[in-house]
Amino acid sequence: MTIATAAHKAPMLEVQDLTMHYFTRKGEVKAVDDVTFTLYKGEALGLVGESGCGKTSIAITLLRLLPENALFKKGHVFFYRPYDPQKAQRYIGFPVKIVQNGNEAYTGRLREVRSDAQLLLQARTNGRFQEIPVQVDPKAHFGVDLIALDEPRLQEIRWKGISMIFQAAMNALNPVYKVGDQIAEAINTHTPGQPPDQVREKIAQLFQLVGIDPAMIDRYPHEYSGGMKQRAIIAMALSCDPDLIIADEPTTALDVIVQDKILREMRVIQKKLNMSMIYISHDIAVIAEVSDKIGVMYAGKMVEVARCETIFQRPVHPYTKALMSAFPSIKGERRKLESMPGEPPDLIKPPLGCRFHPRCPYATEQCAKEDPAFKPQHEEHFAACWHPLS
Amino acid sequence: MRRYLFKRLVQIVVTLYLYLTLVFFILQAMPGDYSQIYIDNPQLTREAREQLIRDLGLDKPIEEQYFTYLRNFVIGQWGMSFAHGRPVWDIIVERFPRTALLFITATLIAFYLGFLLGKLIAWRRGRMIEYTSTVVGITFYTAFTPMLALLLVWIFAIQLTDWTGLKLFPIANFLDMDKWQLVNLGPHGSNVIFGYMLATLGALAAFIFAYWWLCHRFIHRPGVRFGALLGGYAAVFLLAGYLWVAVEPLAQCWPAFQKYGGRICNWQLAVDILHHMILPVTVVTLISFGGTMLLMRNSMLETIREDYIMAAKAKGLSEKTVRDDHAARNALLPVVTSFVLSLALAIDGGIITETLFSWPGMGLTLLNSVQEQDFPLAIAALVFTGVFALIAHLVADILYAYLDPRIRYE
Amino acid sequence: MATATTAPQRQFDPIWRVRARLLRRGALESWAMFRESKIGLTGLAVIAIFFVAGFVIHPVLWGGPTLPEWFPIAGGQKLWAPLWDGKIYDPILGRPLVWSEEHETYIFTDFPAPPSLRHWLGTDPYGRDILSQILHGIQAAFVLGIFAALITVFIGTTIGAIAAYYGGFVDTFFMRLADIILLFPLIAFLIVLSGLMQMDFWSLAIVLGIYGGFGSITIVLKSQALAIKVKPYIEAARVAGGGHGHIIFRHIIPNILPLSFLYMMFTVTSAIFSEAVLSFFGLVDIKMSWGLMINITRDAGYLGATNMMQFWWLWMPAGLCITFLCAAFYLVGRGLDEIVNPRLRAR
Ligand SMILES: Nc1ncnc2c1ncn2[C@@H]1O[C@H](COP(=O)(O)OP(=O)(O)O)[C@@H](O)[C@H]1O
Ligand code: SF4
Ligand SMILES: [Mg+2]
Repeated sequence: MTIATAAHKAPMLEVQDLTMHYFTRKGEVKAVDDVTFTLYKGEALGLVGESGCGKTSIAITLLRLLPENALFKKGHVFFYRPYDPQKAQRYIGFPVKIVQNGNEAYTGRLREVRSDAQLLLQARTNGRFQEIPVQVDPKAHFGVDLIALDEPRLQEIRWKGISMIFQAAMNALNPVYKVGDQIAEAINTHTPGQPPDQVREKIAQLFQLVGIDPAMIDRYPHEYSGGMKQRAIIAMALSCDPDLIIADEPTTALDVIVQDKILREMRVIQKKLNMSMIYISHDIAVIAEVSDKIGVMYAGKMVEVARCETIFQRPVHPYTKALMSAFPSIKGERRKLESMPGEPPDLIKPPLGCRFHPRCPYATEQCAKEDPAFKPQHEEHFAACWHPLS
Repeated sequence: MRRYLFKRLVQIVVTLYLYLTLVFFILQAMPGDYSQIYIDNPQLTREAREQLIRDLGLDKPIEEQYFTYLRNFVIGQWGMSFAHGRPVWDIIVERFPRTALLFITATLIAFYLGFLLGKLIAWRRGRMIEYTSTVVGITFYTAFTPMLALLLVWIFAIQLTDWTGLKLFPIANFLDMDKWQLVNLGPHGSNVIFGYMLATLGALAAFIFAYWWLCHRFIHRPGVRFGALLGGYAAVFLLAGYLWVAVEPLAQCWPAFQKYGGRICNWQLAVDILHHMILPVTVVTLISFGGTMLLMRNSMLETIREDYIMAAKAKGLSEKTVRDDHAARNALLPVVTSFVLSLALAIDGGIITETLFSWPGMGLTLLNSVQEQDFPLAIAALVFTGVFALIAHLVADILYAYLDPRIRYE
Repeated sequence: MATATTAPQRQFDPIWRVRARLLRRGALESWAMFRESKIGLTGLAVIAIFFVAGFVIHPVLWGGPTLPEWFPIAGGQKLWAPLWDGKIYDPILGRPLVWSEEHETYIFTDFPAPPSLRHWLGTDPYGRDILSQILHGIQAAFVLGIFAALITVFIGTTIGAIAAYYGGFVDTFFMRLADIILLFPLIAFLIVLSGLMQMDFWSLAIVLGIYGGFGSITIVLKSQALAIKVKPYIEAARVAGGGHGHIIFRHIIPNILPLSFLYMMFTVTSAIFSEAVLSFFGLVDIKMSWGLMINITRDAGYLGATNMMQFWWLWMPAGLCITFLCAAFYLVGRGLDEIVNPRLRAR
């Protein structure tokens, strides 16, 4: 997937062909298969899909927080930042991607930073490795492949570049440390040498921002209520001013009113700080309001990505359409997803061809045999279906 | 916290009471009453026998005997040893420090070793190191203690002496009679030194802990903190050493020391004891680290599945920080309990080790008293072991509460 | 209900057959999981080897076939005579004394003898074959361990179920008792006990079984039973008029039994170990056991730091057997633990 279609925007995260399976006794769980999407700076992407379709798995693969039975198969995750020759030095020997002037993109292993404006990449052309010099525009975007980074470099990007709000936020705080100390730990790791008072001041501000009494800084997690823990986690995710936040079901554990409130607040913060965001939820209604773009997942596959309005007005994939019909209509009544026949597939032996075909009302013979490619349907609109709806 | 501790204290007292009662009734239920053995002694005159029956309260009904038994326990009247002709309490006071010194040292080392290894092998799950250390741990954990101890003695004492040509470790006893005869400290002589050693150990531990806490509380720059810690520890160890060497005159105020005029200083005696301790400590350490290691491994494996570990990794903390400050810190909780309990059962396990090393502590005393049919001593030793275990249990609870804020701030 | 009307004449299996089928399925599933645990399998293999050696090979060789008269070599003699002749090398009575003209008394000659073709593991200070003692010791260890463990399981499950079912004072009492037992200095207690009464094989097994039964097993089984107590079918059984006893023994206990088997393994380990330690101190009245073998060696003065390696066959086989058998049961316990305790599973 090229990002040429959106030349005017700055890329933030580019995920290509990401595939990750889990090893289990019964077989490989194909939790993430060939997932591709691109996220731009300041944009919020909502990832939707039934629970168990691999949303959390994508999130933890991006940050390489994989459990020991995870089998990473293939793919790239380019994480972009404005080009800075000093910082580029640090990635010599690692795969990088440089995007500039709208549609110019260079991929390869970084060999040398020759001067402020010239890099030497090692890339494979015509089956042979060659060193190619690249003239870099000062406004270029410099992407590093998170998948190929080593631990120390990855650790620098975690939280400072990409932070995460965990699905099980209740358990994401270590019970034996004060909440304030846990946030301070993140800050001190990424910006060492700050005086403790200043760190504390910053945490107090964050607490105020997410709506917790700063007096709670010195309390332990078990003294927090569920909603407060959730907010503390959000404060922690914001603590290092990340470029991108992944919020995995950030509000599922809370009641509806609080959910709504927190989401709105997060949207405001995101806009204010011009951060990028990935919201993950099984409930499209929850995140529709706060996302610019929506990615629909089905059984480990990304089936459709488009702008929020497009998804609602002109869904291309039958599964998206089915999801939409479950979306509360204006009258507020909620129709059930169960109107769709069948069960979500077993990810150990997913159906051949299009994974949705056993449940799809438009399925043909081709669907049962061949896997549809994930390709552009309209501008900024991608889907994987043999028989697109529009 | 205070409520929690109070609750635990009450619970311990109840448990102690139940324990004493249990021991009493088990003894009563024995087919041959132990006091009978003593009373049936043909050398006793009739009056002496009656006196004895009255002393032991055997003419009284059972419930009265029970209350006497409880009262005697509380006021420390634990009876007279048949074999030694001394109050049982005295004997216990004399023997206990030896066991305490040996086993506290060994258990501390074993615990630390087990903690470190358990942490590492859980983190490196599935690698060679896990299999190797698990096998080694299980071997040491399940090995028949006497055999293992003997083998280790053979390796460390006999083989090492053969290879090096030096007599490195004494095999038996806890001190060198020749040296100590010069001192003539009286019947409890070695206990003075033992007492000093235990006091030093306790003071050092208290200082290290308090100082560590203070440093972490008030010094925030890692480099400065490390320097302060190092300096403080070095200073206090030097100070302890200096006191041992220099405060000789103080020790000589003790009447016994004046007799021999300071030819051997008390630090030399302490060194003698330490020298005798090396082998038993090594053996006890090797025997007992396996259990801690396996426990720590399991606890760690459970902890690293927790969400906060993934969160800690996501925060970009280094692997070492995640492992040590987050995973191990939480995994430590159940292990601490087992550590204190294993310390509590040191006397129990000490029976084997002390016998093999002729280390005259509580364990050997208990075994010998049974073999000599010295029941007051045997039963007192048993009761004492249980009481000690209960106290250790309380310590474990306090420690646990300290380490786990969920309990501390209940 | 629909199936009942469409197939009215369908035969229902008797309840025991349904139970047996469920049991079989459960057992097969557990076995499939257990098979994945390498350490558990290793332990099981070691136990099997010991079992075969002690309960199959030993009795067979002990009786031993006699070679026919016409057999060219050693015709008419027992096939295993040199090694296994129960009369001469009885592990308990030993070889008869030999009258020595020289000393004018009955003596044992050349004992302890090092391993030889006649005695694969040598003889002890009384001239008894070590290998037969070892094999004999297997029987003692198994019988003691399993017997004690059965008592433990019986007491532990009953108390765990009762404490969970009734709660209140009964629960508190047994839990405090378990606390004491956890802290109870077992070896010290057994030693004192052996001084007060004649401790023989069976009484030791009973004491160990009782000790295990009131200990940590009750705490674990109680919490398991508590989880079962709130299941709907217990309520259903109560509504259907099941008495306390019926519910405890028919519904709760069968459900906590698998977990108690896990603890059975650990009890076996501790029973074998405790017996060995007590025998090592010579405090148990037992005919032959591995611990006693080491005790005999020690009493005869062959266990000094300087000469123990010279007479290794006297104590090393016995010590290793104790270690291996204890380790084997422990390993099986660990293997079972990985089934029962999903948090340890390697996923
Ligand atoms: N550690 C794991 N081992 C094996 N399977 C897993 C593991 N984690 C998740 N899965 C499986 O992978 C699939 C995707 O899980 P997940 O990413 O958590 O889904 P979602 O977040 O969309 O609910 C599910 O079928 C789940 O059962
Ligand atoms: S590819 Fe075929 S089965 Fe799959 S969604 Fe499209 S129409 Fe349905
Ligand atoms: Mg999820």
